[in-house]
Amino acid sequence: MAATLASPVAPAELEVERCGTEEETRGAEAEEEGSPPQPGPVSASSHSRLSKLPLARIKALMKTDPDVSLASQESVFIIAKATELFVEMIAKDAMVYAQQGKRKTLQRKDLDNAIEAIDEFAFLEGTLD
Amino acid sequence: MAERPEDLNLPNAVITRIIKEALPDGVNVSKEARRAISQAASVFVLYATSCANNFAMKAKRKTLNAGDVMAAMEEMEFERFLEPLKEALEVYKKGQKGKKEVSEQKRKDKEKKQDSENDRSREEEEEERMEEEPDVEEDEAEN
Repeated sequence: MAATLASPVAPAELEVERCGTEEETRGAEAEEEGSPPQPGPVSASSHSRLSKLPLARIKALMKTDPDVSLASQESVFIIAKATELFVEMIAKDAMVYAQQGKRKTLQRKDLDNAIEAIDEFAFLEGTLD
Repeated sequence: MAERPEDLNLPNAVITRIIKEALPDGVNVSKEARRAISQAASVFVLYATSCANNFAMKAKRKTLNAGDVMAAMEEMEFERFLEPLKEALEVYKKGQKGKKEVSEQKRKDKEKKQDSENDRSREEEEEERMEEEPDVEEDEAEN
């Protein structure tokens, strides 16, 4: 019996929770709604995956905060996405220091410099090993 | 199943990919730098969560929602993230809606199937019963 879909949604877009990582088992994440992971072929569509970071891992991290009781799926998604943007940003900002040192390899000290110099990264001070 | 923050890292492969895509070709990233960025990302998640949770608590809500996270981004001075996040959220919501429709449709189909199977077996039962229970009059007549 062919499934009758009201609106054609590219399966690739539904892959949000199964972002490729070697450490996650597929289908292990059952989100709050309890809907099972969608079976069937995943077409290589033009849509890039919405979130590269695995939502289940992000959610688990969020839940280590004792004050957090529940988090909506959307909020987990946005934090995942924001974290992605954050990684891009800090990599680029640190790169500036590597370039100043005429290096093509980003090193730990470039990170430290960026954290010290940039206000938005102040929350990181003293948190990294 | 309480996991401690230290046990939860974001997958290295994904972090590395994000970094590489952000930087120009030909640039390398040392292992230590990668590890530090990954750690920083985890700290970011925790900080953002805590910040967002404050907004939820202020609004007397137990569930963290998207708006709380957006407010947290502003608070943390990451306003530059707001636009791309809003756009991504729209796409995400559409995807979730489609997913919900698909799983609801599947559930409906399943229920319909079960219902029709139940009806069929009920009909069969009724037919059998009708055969087994002859009219009272006939019975008496036979006796």
